[in-house]
Amino acid sequence: MANYVEMWKELGMDLEAHDALCAVLPSAFGDVYLSQENRPEGMGFWDMVVADIHGIRPAELMEAQKKGQKVFGTFCVYVPDEVVVAADGIVTGLCGGSQFWVPGGEKVLPKSVCPLIKASVGARLERTCPFFRIADMYVGETTCDGKKKAWEILGKDVPIHIMDMPQMKRPQDVKKWEDEIREFAGVVEECTGNKITPEKLGGAIHIINEKRKALARVYEARKAKNIPVSGRDALLVMQIAFFDDPVRCAQMTNRLADELEQRIADGVSVFPAGTKRILLSGTPMAIPNWKLHHIIETSGAAVVCEETCTGTRYFENLVDEAKTDLDGQYAAIARRYMGVNCACFTPNTGRVDDILRLAEEYDVDGVIDVNLKFCCLYDTEGYTVEKALKDAGIPVLGIETDYTDADAEQLRTRIEAFVEMLG
Amino acid sequence: MDGESRINYYILFENYTQGMMLQELLRGEHISSRISPAPRSIQGESGCGMSLLIQPEEIGQVRECIEKNQAEYYDIVALPCQINPRRDRFC
Repeated sequence: MANYVEMWKELGMDLEAHDALCAVLPSAFGDVYLSQENRPEGMGFWDMVVADIHGIRPAELMEAQKKGQKVFGTFCVYVPDEVVVAADGIVTGLCGGSQFWVPGGEKVLPKSVCPLIKASVGARLERTCPFFRIADMYVGETTCDGKKKAWEILGKDVPIHIMDMPQMKRPQDVKKWEDEIREFAGVVEECTGNKITPEKLGGAIHIINEKRKALARVYEARKAKNIPVSGRDALLVMQIAFFDDPVRCAQMTNRLADELEQRIADGVSVFPAGTKRILLSGTPMAIPNWKLHHIIETSGAAVVCEETCTGTRYFENLVDEAKTDLDGQYAAIARRYMGVNCACFTPNTGRVDDILRLAEEYDVDGVIDVNLKFCCLYDTEGYTVEKALKDAGIPVLGIETDYTDADAEQLRTRIEAFVEMLG
Repeated sequence: MDGESRINYYILFENYTQGMMLQELLRGEHISSRISPAPRSIQGESGCGMSLLIQPEEIGQVRECIEKNQAEYYDIVALPCQINPRRDRFC
């Protein structure tokens, strides 16, 4: 990646430490992705993105900044991309999914904070990820206590705007989120210097909806009896969707979906007939967290759906495109995002409904409910989720894990036993 | 994948555009190649993190294709197979 050394220097990155991360990525990617047979040809695009993940897209973002565009770094699927795109800004996801960044986060955070937060803070403060260096402004949100305190630490190093998430889903909470979105729009307008008009917001809503529709097509293909794409590949598509240009993302994802639909018509599967179908529910898997998918799919099962923020929560439900004034559009955006069922809400029966619905739609043999270590919300909600699944007669395995390799063998043993139990 | 003794070939590039162009040429001749992050141990001073992974049965055809089309690349490096799906080492 010598091409990008000057860019990384310009970003003030710690090149020596960053080099250590670059050294481990190729073997992990090879083990997880290049070990697979008969992958869709369309996955070549995502392979290329990962091969130069700290080069190609960061260079695009910096080029855009030189032309006056602003980059907003986000950490949650509740932050509405539409508002940023409407102001000619660019959104990039910033959630950290590598153990490499965790020790850096632990220098300022307690160990008993989830690895996603620790990795995200570590990536910024240790200066080992270009995306964290490039973003002009971070956009935080109050989805959990760990994040709230992390924003206070990050806020000393980078401009940050925090959106106050409601904790419930009553009509007044939806209205509150609409007000938060409107306030965020003001912040974005000030940062970019661009006014958000109904026409621009309407265009942005359409762009993000098209991206959602494309991702939904890939998921729809995974419902087929012959599974045309692995869970690992689908996860990679989702992970990169947080970073890529939304129009290109939709274009490449639609191209992949075309290929998957053809595979279904041709009866092509990437798994042997009878492979057990797994729904993963729970916490997000930020890039390059491929651990659980890889262990499951090398233990005799296939992941056919993720009820996570890096899964269905990211693309299900569209924003109503019929509204033509800003008030109506902000209300429509609020309604769509408040339809996402995260464990940060109470009560959160909608999430259990989602899991039961997805289990049926994807014809799964079992559910693995996963929570990142120290994620109190998903861990606690696991009781309700697992009880509902057991009551419905759907086998479920609850797993708590982090980004380390240490529990891989133990997880493999448990998952192999679970898959065997599925018959 | 076969055992560690199997040799894989990695084609390195100055930039990803070169890599994509070569893959397009190979695709046109029905020669399989897979995009891979270039292993750090062989990347050296090449300008790009992307490489093309070629199986030993096809490296001869790949070299012919490169020569015929004067395709640009940085280096071709042979390495024992780096891929092990049971390694369980993540990043």
